[in-house]
Amino acid sequence: MNQMLKIGQTVRAVSTGTSCRVEQFLGGGGQGEVYRAVLIVESPTGAQSNSALALKWYFPAQATAAQRAALAELIRKGAPNGRFLWPIDLAEAPGARGFGYLMPLRDPRYRGIVDLMKRRIEPSFRALAGAGLGLAQAFLDLHSQGLCYRDISFGNVFFDPQSGDVLVGDNDNVAVDRAAQGAVLGTPRFMAPEIVRGEALPSTQSDLFSLAVLLFYMLMVHHPLEGAREAAIHALDLPAMNKLYGAEPLFIYDPGDESNRPLPGYHDNALIYWRLYPAFLRELFTRAFTAGLRDPQSRVRESEWRAAMARLRDAILYCGACGAENFYDAEALRAADGAPGACWSCARALVLPPRIRIGRHVVMLNHDTQLFPHHVDDQRLYDFSQPVAVMAQHPVRKHLWGLKNLSGVKWDVTLPDGSLKEVKPDQSAPLALGAKIQFGKAEGEIRI
Amino acid sequence: MAKRPGGELATRPLHFIWMADCSGSMKGDGKIQALNAAIREAIPHMRAVADENPNAQVLVRAIRFANGAQWHIAQPTAVADFKWSDLSADGHTDMGEALAMLAEQLKIPPMSDRALPPVLVLISDGQPTDNFQQGLDMLLAQPWGKKAVRIAIAIGEDADHEVLQLFIGNPELKPLQANNPEALVRQIKWVSTAVLKAASAPASQSTVPLPGGSNVPIPALPAPNAGPASAEDVW
Repeated sequence: MNQMLKIGQTVRAVSTGTSCRVEQFLGGGGQGEVYRAVLIVESPTGAQSNSALALKWYFPAQATAAQRAALAELIRKGAPNGRFLWPIDLAEAPGARGFGYLMPLRDPRYRGIVDLMKRRIEPSFRALAGAGLGLAQAFLDLHSQGLCYRDISFGNVFFDPQSGDVLVGDNDNVAVDRAAQGAVLGTPRFMAPEIVRGEALPSTQSDLFSLAVLLFYMLMVHHPLEGAREAAIHALDLPAMNKLYGAEPLFIYDPGDESNRPLPGYHDNALIYWRLYPAFLRELFTRAFTAGLRDPQSRVRESEWRAAMARLRDAILYCGACGAENFYDAEALRAADGAPGACWSCARALVLPPRIRIGRHVVMLNHDTQLFPHHVDDQRLYDFSQPVAVMAQHPVRKHLWGLKNLSGVKWDVTLPDGSLKEVKPDQSAPLALGAKIQFGKAEGEIRI
Repeated sequence: MAKRPGGELATRPLHFIWMADCSGSMKGDGKIQALNAAIREAIPHMRAVADENPNAQVLVRAIRFANGAQWHIAQPTAVADFKWSDLSADGHTDMGEALAMLAEQLKIPPMSDRALPPVLVLISDGQPTDNFQQGLDMLLAQPWGKKAVRIAIAIGEDADHEVLQLFIGNPELKPLQANNPEALVRQIKWVSTAVLKAASAPASQSTVPLPGGSNVPIPALPAPNAGPASAEDVW
């Protein structure tokens, strides 16, 4: 009801002239409505082949010449990487006012962040860290092109809870950083304080704040500024939100000001998750929401988030008793004289798995660990396309584990007794304390 | 075993309360049937909005007023479980009593001291027959009454815009005029979706200014679809 386009009607892709049939109403937002549409392509033989797309159609008030020009520019530029549901072509409808645009349809395996907040999906920490990495990479690539997103929030990003693969939708507000004023200021709770206060317009710097909020939400299922000050508010209306997120924002774990700590009963997730993560991640969030709260120039960059998410994934270890994912925290270990603490799930003492240090990477060698070019070649950081090593059991002596060479080149292994061993592709290096593996460009040392 | 600890994102309750005029005049021209149909029609949309809102726990109830006022649905009901039972029309327009009754329920307790602004929707086709001002004063004496998003829908030409405007209490927000069932459906849907959303997790903030003077950013009501409703539909 009250939909702007009729099911079955045809729209025309402006640059190609191709027709699309409107098939299904998918949803409405603040700027327009999204439909599923199929491209009607007639081959020379007259046979029709249909491919499905998403069609966003603007409300009349939003269908401005400026929006149309911005879209044309985005279509001309093309997507920053494959993780964006980027506009493909403008669309017009014969006899209908306004315009819209066509973009790829989102595969249903990708789920929204609201599903994560409502616990309708239950991804592993590994998948979440992977999603964080993917989002940091996506916004890094977008910003590298001089573009800013302006509305990073729950509704605009999606991830596969199994694999952690991400998708960024709603790209029609993307624009050249600090160029024309766009149609949006952002979404409350995600907007940078200077925007809430009306002192600045969305930019790459404010995107960085929103990205930090989104990552905090995803990892902690809580907002980084909602502590005692939020609990003290009776009616959380716009003036209250402007105060909490704009005029007087304070990080719940600000080391210099304890007055906004999370309260039991109100902010339990924050209390549970914060101490679960390794110190390096807490420090990064602390910088994002202390210095980065006040000074847009001091925000944590996407490349820093990307590095932290990769490190977080490498730090995952499994509880030997219940199998739950826990994290290796070098600082906590040092503070506790090497005792790795208790599992968050079953409270039994954790046992550290063997691990490998390769340059700055420390990777837990769990039963399912894989190493990638990211780990063994500084020229190929963040290349997770093909594993170069995987943990493998000895074919006969099942209690023995080794690191199997999946790369195309041999490794030179120096065993603790000083003897040398060559590990050819498909062979495994034994996991011995102090063993060193020369992967080619980098050397790793095993710890047990 | 849960893969990660903790629970859902912390929410605040969002009370959404219908106040429906069931006076005798609502019997005419199928108005009460149209209202029942419009609310029923809006429920799935309301559910969808609540489903996509991680910050609010939406709780719905309803008051009817005619000769006196009664809770039509007294229990604050999660929108997922909300079912509409038909209203019938007969009697006076005791709007003041409905407001007084509402004020009683907006006291703390039974209301919690932490919540999102409640959304109160007053629907009427006529003039109050009791002491409207007294009821309104009682409502506005309650902190939650004052903080509430107050929306009014005027059904037909005889609705008293002046009292509805007093109820809204914000000169920049006018009563919605529903002169036919189609308009009523559109407005009921708008309050149960766009206004509901605005009161909890406002959508992207537009650079186009919203009507001011309100503690909740109320988005504009979308324009009706082209094509006039048939003449018989006009109230």
